[in-house]
Amino acid sequence: MKKLLPLLVVCVMIFTACASNADNKNENAGAGNAGGETTKVTVWAWDPNFNIKAMNFAKDTYAPDHADVTIDIIENAQNDIVQKLNTGLSSGTTKGLPNIVLIEDYRAQSFLQAYPDAFYPLTDVFKTEDFADYKIGPTSFDGKQYGLPFDSGVTGLYVRTDYLEQAGYTVADMQDITWDKYIEIGKAVKEKTGKDWISLDPNDLGIIRVMAQSAGSWYLKEDGKTADIAGNAALKEAMETYKKMMDANIVKIHADWSQFVANYNNGDAASVPTGNWFTPSITAAADQAGKWAIVPLPKLTNNEKSVHASNLGGSSWYVLNVPGKEKAADFLGATFGSNVELYQKLVTEIGAIGTYKPAAEGEAYKAGNEFFGGQKIVTDFATWTAEIPKVNYGMHTYAVEDIMIVEMQNYLNGKAIDQVLEDAQKQADSQLK
Amino acid sequence: MIRRLCDRFRNNRLFVKMFLVMLLSIVAVSIAITWVTLNTSERLFMQTFSITNSKVLTQIETSIGSLNYSIVLATNNMLQSGSIKSFLTESSGNSKSIARTYFGMNQQMKRITSIVDAYEIGITITGNNGRSFATDRSIWPLTDSELIVHPITEQTLKEPKRLLYQFDYVEPSETSAGQASIVASKALMERTTGFVYGAMYFSIREREFKRLYETYTSLGNDVVILNGKGMIISSNRADWIGQSDPDLLAKAREIVEQSLEYKDVDRDGRDQLLISKYLESLDLYLVNVIDKKTAIGQLMDTRAIVLIVIAIVSIALLIVFLISGRLTKSLSRLVKQISTISKYDFDHYVTVGGSYETRQLGQAFNAMLDELHEYVDELVETQRRQRNAELEALQQQINPHFLYNTLASVKFMVQQGSKEKAAETINALISLLQNSISNVSETITISQELVNMRNYVFINHVRYGEKIKVNYFVSPDCMGYMVPKLIIQPFIENAFFHGFNKKSEGHIYMLVAQEGNALVSEIVDNGDGMAITPEQLPDQSKGSRQLFTGIGVRNVHERIKLLYGDEYGVSIMSELGEGTKVKIRLPLIKG
Repeated sequence: MKKLLPLLVVCVMIFTACASNADNKNENAGAGNAGGETTKVTVWAWDPNFNIKAMNFAKDTYAPDHADVTIDIIENAQNDIVQKLNTGLSSGTTKGLPNIVLIEDYRAQSFLQAYPDAFYPLTDVFKTEDFADYKIGPTSFDGKQYGLPFDSGVTGLYVRTDYLEQAGYTVADMQDITWDKYIEIGKAVKEKTGKDWISLDPNDLGIIRVMAQSAGSWYLKEDGKTADIAGNAALKEAMETYKKMMDANIVKIHADWSQFVANYNNGDAASVPTGNWFTPSITAAADQAGKWAIVPLPKLTNNEKSVHASNLGGSSWYVLNVPGKEKAADFLGATFGSNVELYQKLVTEIGAIGTYKPAAEGEAYKAGNEFFGGQKIVTDFATWTAEIPKVNYGMHTYAVEDIMIVEMQNYLNGKAIDQVLEDAQKQADSQLK
Repeated sequence: MIRRLCDRFRNNRLFVKMFLVMLLSIVAVSIAITWVTLNTSERLFMQTFSITNSKVLTQIETSIGSLNYSIVLATNNMLQSGSIKSFLTESSGNSKSIARTYFGMNQQMKRITSIVDAYEIGITITGNNGRSFATDRSIWPLTDSELIVHPITEQTLKEPKRLLYQFDYVEPSETSAGQASIVASKALMERTTGFVYGAMYFSIREREFKRLYETYTSLGNDVVILNGKGMIISSNRADWIGQSDPDLLAKAREIVEQSLEYKDVDRDGRDQLLISKYLESLDLYLVNVIDKKTAIGQLMDTRAIVLIVIAIVSIALLIVFLISGRLTKSLSRLVKQISTISKYDFDHYVTVGGSYETRQLGQAFNAMLDELHEYVDELVETQRRQRNAELEALQQQINPHFLYNTLASVKFMVQQGSKEKAAETINALISLLQNSISNVSETITISQELVNMRNYVFINHVRYGEKIKVNYFVSPDCMGYMVPKLIIQPFIENAFFHGFNKKSEGHIYMLVAQEGNALVSEIVDNGDGMAITPEQLPDQSKGSRQLFTGIGVRNVHERIKLLYGDEYGVSIMSELGEGTKVKIRLPLIKG
């Protein structure tokens, strides 16, 4: 019996040793995971054909040299992103939010000003002077650069050359025209071909914004906070032009993006004044190759300040102030912030034109586009980019837009333009207080 | 080898038996306890599981119900909306009027969308005029032309009054990733006329829909939503989604129809517990599939339990093995020793060792052996003494007849006047008596015995005449050896009185010599002889009045054996008509 006791003790010790060994292993494994050599950087963006694709290219160029970072790109509708960001940031919890998020320039200030601490400054990550000037305003706040400018929203007028020719016009007739001239040609095209001249969504006044910015004007005054509607000559003329188009019955109406694209791909509409990001949608209809040209944006007929260049949309990348922000910033800086090669790829593979100036020196920027009959569209857009008048999108672009959409209908239905602008101004003033 | 093994087995029989019994009982007890524990907890677990899960199902039902209610509200709003109706029915118009319609529709849709805002639902409406509108096409990425010919549209138009919940999987394409969606659809119909002017679709990504119940699921505890056709439209198990499972539908129906609490089923060889609810307004079956093995396996680590039991059993067996080994080893050693002792002799004590019990047993056994020894010794001693006493008594009984006859012979001699012979006879008798009536155990030298013999023979010659001659041949070197008193006398007496019944005269020779380590004395006569074997000793004690003492030939033999051991004694060889030869072997004892 006396001999058995030590044996038992030994047995028990072996068992405990085994058990504690197993525990140790688990702990080690846990620590390994938690300590995490790989950082996961989550990216939220919309539009799989454009933004998501571009981000994937950036990921591909970055990943080989950075095995310690995994980039996880998640597609979300733009509205969802806005909603989720607002919900998350206003509640003060950053849980569930991504590291990098794409924000449209029109909305950028509303986020930067409302949640100044929620974003991670990128001032040291890239050189702001390398990017188009007009992008810096919306993406910075209080002297700090928060957004890394991504795509250019520089506008042009895409036009079907074959329809033009049927109506007796050439592309040359479209160069540097006014909106009135534009409508005039449109009428002819409609008459000759039966095709509408332009496709518009009555619930999206993008074309009004394009016209206003071409004259250096916006829904809001310089301060970005006060509505600038009543007495805004550019805005007034833009609305009048809009009504002229409607009255001329040359407008195809669409209700959403897919119909918008379909109207052109099906050949139901002949021209589209919009941002350069529309290029992939046009080129998607391969059967229309060679039938399209891009000409400078028409300018407001009676506004001297108006130029043949404007901006529509365009967005930038922002880093949220959440764990992993340094890695996320480094990722952006190494790709969109400095990689010329990446921008060449974006142009050739997606047709996305960035706002990174050094990239314009690359071959891809100078190449002609066969779809557009060999036109050097990137060079053209780059030229127009430089001409874009700078405006302050402020914090309330979309709030004013919502008011304008309703008032536009009133105007179309016969309400006097000055009254329309007065009413809109009143509503905006009371809302933006 | 085998015999050794068998021997070992036999020697350890007790241990083997004991160990086997312990082994069987320990194993049986642990298996039984483990089984009962596992079984009981499994049953308990299943019961609680089914109760809590029914509650969970009710909650899921509620949350799906509220989703459904939002959709129903939205459909009602859309059915009543004039602007939507005109958007979908208006055939043509100028830009301005179309813009107005689109605007009105959009404003209306914005309001309606807010009803379902709580969920990520995309609303699509299509009209007979080819127009369509979608709030979010990414949720259910179909083109208008695809939608028109889609089976969901077909189903919807077939049952225009019903809100149908269907599942659709859009294959991944260049522009979008593969997307599983749940689509609630209903025809847009004029209530009064029954004219169908379009359809509305509420699409929700399956992964969003899943959120309504996903938190309640766990490994082995899965939730499945089946539509009325047996298709799995949603499940937390991604691999089940979109599959048709009529078997599960049948079982779910059975549960609902018989209003069972739950149902045990065996599907694809898996033991499962099904709980089901029927969502009537949606025509969907909500089924909770609990894979017993996985669910319980998660709760109870059966393997760990079994391993622990095995470990405990092994340790117990090891201890039992060692303890019972030690116990039985000493015991069986004891048994082995005891069994050999009974066979051979009592001198071997058993080794005292092992456990307390066997030690006590061994000690008791040894003590018993000691006592036994004592008793045996005492018994032997007593018997020896008794024999000696007997012999002594016999020896001391000088036959009164002998004395009487001798004295009568002397009287005759005196009467006849042969005084000298009478005196000689009396002297011989005195010497004989003197030597005889002392302690019987005493030994005397051969020469003294020889004197006794001569006296005895002399007396006999006096009494019966001298027809039988006696001659003595004693080796001179033997004269000094000691022999028991009157050891040879009975044989001479025997020769005198039995050897010459038929023959009237003859010789008796007495020889004493040293033969090896023994002293041999032979009494040889040439008388009648007897028909006896050497071992048979004649018994002549009965009715012999001539005898000198009561000691017979047989007694002498026994006495020698008693005194000196088995190798000594008397042997007789005799032949009828030839004579008898008696040989006495005695040890050499120096005087």
